[in-house]
Amino acid sequence: MMNISRSVSLISLFLLPLLSFSFSVDNPTDRRVLVLLDDLSLKSSHSIFFNTLKSRGFDLDFKLAEDSKLALQRYGQYLYDGLIIFAPSTERFGGSLDSKSIADFVDSGRDLILSADTSASDLIRGISTECGVDFDEDSSAMVIDHTSFSVSDVDGDHTLIAAEDLVKSDVILGKTKIEAPVLFRGVAHSLNPTNNLVLKVLSASPSAYSANPSSKLLSAPQLTGSAISLVSVMQARNNARVVISGSLQLFSDRLFRSGVQKAGSPNKYEKSGNEQFVTELSKWVFHERGHLKAGNLVHHRVGETDEPAIYRIKDDLEFSVEIFEWSGKSWEPYVANDVQVQFYMMSPYVLKTLSTDKKGLFHTSFKVPDVYGVFQFKVEYEKLGYTTLSLSKQIPVRPYRHNEYERFIPTAYPYYGACFTTMAGFFVFSFVYLYHK
Amino acid sequence: MVKSTSKDAQDLFRSLRSAYSATPTNLKIIDLYVVFAVFTALIQVAYMALVGSFPFNSFLSGVLSCIGTAVLAVCLRIQVNKENKEFKDLAPERAFADFVLCNLVLHLVIINFLG
Repeated sequence: MMNISRSVSLISLFLLPLLSFSFSVDNPTDRRVLVLLDDLSLKSSHSIFFNTLKSRGFDLDFKLAEDSKLALQRYGQYLYDGLIIFAPSTERFGGSLDSKSIADFVDSGRDLILSADTSASDLIRGISTECGVDFDEDSSAMVIDHTSFSVSDVDGDHTLIAAEDLVKSDVILGKTKIEAPVLFRGVAHSLNPTNNLVLKVLSASPSAYSANPSSKLLSAPQLTGSAISLVSVMQARNNARVVISGSLQLFSDRLFRSGVQKAGSPNKYEKSGNEQFVTELSKWVFHERGHLKAGNLVHHRVGETDEPAIYRIKDDLEFSVEIFEWSGKSWEPYVANDVQVQFYMMSPYVLKTLSTDKKGLFHTSFKVPDVYGVFQFKVEYEKLGYTTLSLSKQIPVRPYRHNEYERFIPTAYPYYGACFTTMAGFFVFSFVYLYHK
Repeated sequence: MVKSTSKDAQDLFRSLRSAYSATPTNLKIIDLYVVFAVFTALIQVAYMALVGSFPFNSFLSGVLSCIGTAVLAVCLRIQVNKENKEFKDLAPERAFADFVLCNLVLHLVIINFLG
């Protein structure tokens, strides 16, 4: 019995480095990615996208969406850190996979790239609705734009759109500006206004609308203009990231390699912005960028180094916290001038912007307010594209002790004098009153 | 209505003074003591208006010691006044003893409240 348990612990000792190589707090980049396809030919038609992922160290596991052995979990452990669903027409996944297990996958903090396309199935629509994205209900509808289409659109129905309305966020789309328009052919979606976690990354131009290109437009289209989102992202409260695209062709080699010229624009680009857009977006969604970690929250009185168990009102204190950003390989110091700390009891009594030493340390000093009670140091940092930071540390604040007040106050000397004068007056009066005559 | 002049006012003050000169000396001493206490209180109020109410407890104890002293002195004056028939059974020595006791209590409280 002893021998068995010893050998088990030995085996787990060898397995531990292998396991810790995967998704973890210290290494947030995803490693193992399951790719679900509805047709294995997508593997070659979208090979550039998959190869860039492989070259960045991802372990891609291609499976048909109908594969009867599909499973995200085994023995309660997730087998994958990320999921790419390129199966827009799949009505039912094979194996144990369904809409709920994908929602659970995201709820566990793992990432998802979901691509719909024209005639997307109810299953795909259901998953995207969970993420706050509603695809056009008309399954034959496509995004049509008669002003900002690509001139290479030979069909003449203006469904190959050259979109340029990108979200202005370096962390989501990288520091290098995407010069060329992004080619898009697919289905429109709108964002659920009650979901404030989802945002448009690529939106349609104001002249776009969603309709069936092959039939005559009888009534006003439901989705129009820049309310149409082409590609959206969602970062959940647990920092799981989701990309939802209305076009599968967006990721295809054909659009990656094709040149682009927007109708009515003299600028002609050799290569569309798709490759850069998709690569940068995949870096973001798989936590190669914009992932923050905070720790080492330290506070002490000015001039001291130890953290006290309690503060007194009007104490001067120094506060510092370390924030690092994951660069895909290592933790780099995070530099920003908008991190704030709250000294919080029911509401923030002190709100201070932290200054950084550019080495990851954010610090400030402030005076404890003239209120006693149980306070918290709170750092709540929510910035577009970055993971949310939420730290708090509780600390009580006491009032002055009775012997911590000043004994004699110079301002009050006249009052002291008056008291003793009346006492002396009483003494003199008694004397005079008793002994006059 | 007779027009009032400064002469009338002078007459009034003169009659008051002559009436007051008839007051016994022990009552005059008490009056002087009351004036002293009220004057000290007024000085403190003026000082508070000047520098603000910060050590408010000190201000209160300073002013209340003066006001309390004045009130107790007035009480003593009522009790030892020969013309006041209400306290004719009360010996002036007893009245003064009460006055001293009350003053001791007052100043004990004042000193505790002062700082």
